[in-house]
Amino acid sequence: MEWLLLGVLGAIVFVDAWPVGQTMLSRPIVVGPLAGTLLGAPAEGVFWGAVFEAVYLGILPVGAARYPDAGLAALVGTVIASRGDGSEAAAYLVAMAFAAGFLGDWTSGFLRRWNGHTAASVARRVAAGDLDAPGRGIAVGVARGAALGAAAAVGCSAIAVVGFELVEDTVWAGPASREALRLAALAAAVVSAGRFFLKHRSGRLAWLTGLVVAAGLASWAGGTGS
Amino acid sequence: MTVGPRSGPGERRGIALRSLFLQAVWNYDTLQGVGFAWALLPGLRRLHPDPARRAARLLAHLELFNSNPYLSTIAMGVALRLEHEVARGVAGAEGRVKRLMGVLQGTLGALGDELFWAGWRPALGAAAATAALLGGGAWAVAAYWFFYNGLTQAVRLRGVTAGYTSGAGIARVLQDPFWRRAAAATRLGGATVGGAVLALGTTLGYSGGGWRGVGIFLGSVALLGLAARPLGSGGRRLSPALAFLALVILLSALTHASAGTSP
Repeated sequence: MEWLLLGVLGAIVFVDAWPVGQTMLSRPIVVGPLAGTLLGAPAEGVFWGAVFEAVYLGILPVGAARYPDAGLAALVGTVIASRGDGSEAAAYLVAMAFAAGFLGDWTSGFLRRWNGHTAASVARRVAAGDLDAPGRGIAVGVARGAALGAAAAVGCSAIAVVGFELVEDTVWAGPASREALRLAALAAAVVSAGRFFLKHRSGRLAWLTGLVVAAGLASWAGGTGS
Repeated sequence: MTVGPRSGPGERRGIALRSLFLQAVWNYDTLQGVGFAWALLPGLRRLHPDPARRAARLLAHLELFNSNPYLSTIAMGVALRLEHEVARGVAGAEGRVKRLMGVLQGTLGALGDELFWAGWRPALGAAAATAALLGGGAWAVAAYWFFYNGLTQAVRLRGVTAGYTSGAGIARVLQDPFWRRAAAATRLGGATVGGAVLALGTTLGYSGGGWRGVGIFLGSVALLGLAARPLGSGGRRLSPALAFLALVILLSALTHASAGTSP
């Protein structure tokens, strides 16, 4: 049942990423908690969703750009984290999630090429007077995307889980503390945000304002708490 | 020629909902062409009762189209309005639709990418990820999703009516300073969040805080920042994901070393 639900989530995540809606259900920050809740580890899902959101913040889904599938990466990462304490196998978890992200990118490219045949077929049918052809093409495109998304999610998760059983408690699992991971993710968020928002002078001033205000608030909270 | 009545709110809402499937058959030849044509179909059905004529217009809209998914509904509204002229048989109307769509898709694409992909989404994403990492939990996630869609889906739903009302005069609407200000406001918001994340990261530190923690955090930022810079004259970048993986392994080793030396 768990794997079936993972497949459904994988289909939704893949389809939301670009074929339908783009409501950000496919962003790691949403996928992590959803997968975590499905697997009975919501807190792990929130944590790892946030980590992968920070890492993949810089992705720009513009036009024909190629980019890793951040949603699939977060899903696979959360599946591994739900098998144990994610911080105990951090390096393995991150590596497997990124591999899944690359596979998701390849899957998207494959689907887009396949869609090219559908689009050509739709045009031919419309030219022949079949006015329902675009609707059928859309349905086929969505169904194909959902099937590929489900297969990628279940396949990658299964491989990751089997691998986890092999590397668990070995040096390859790469233990790291939650604190270290949180810090690395915050550093990734800083770098990604800087790429977007530090181009203009006004952006640099706003950056400085945020820095001073947050530092002041954190110091005040720390002083109050102690 | 008899032309159907003006487009009603129900039809425009239907087109906006169909725009959710704009990229369902995204491909390297016509990009969003199939989704764009399918979204316009309710309007084409009303304006062109003759199936052969409707098929010809549908075919015209199946051609290459690529724009920002949320703002593309504005182009759909404009196309719907101009289709009235085509249906009335105004000379040169078909060419005008094609030319205007060609210009509009680029303009709306650039505007939407700046507003949403490079503004609203990373700003909210950085804020939500930071809040979740610092203990904000599911609330941070829910807020992210609602705020993001609150803006983007509202724009999507209103876009058809905005485009339909303006018609060929949409260029004037897009020149309104509102769009520039909105993009600047998103940038400023994102920059403020970025600065706040930097401050929070350094303040929280590592292993109980202190200068060691500050050093490790700033070192991590520097490492990831360097990895994000183009390498050599080719301008190739190291994958941020691989740089992050290297950082996690490094921090893992540090944790291991600390655990091994602790009494």
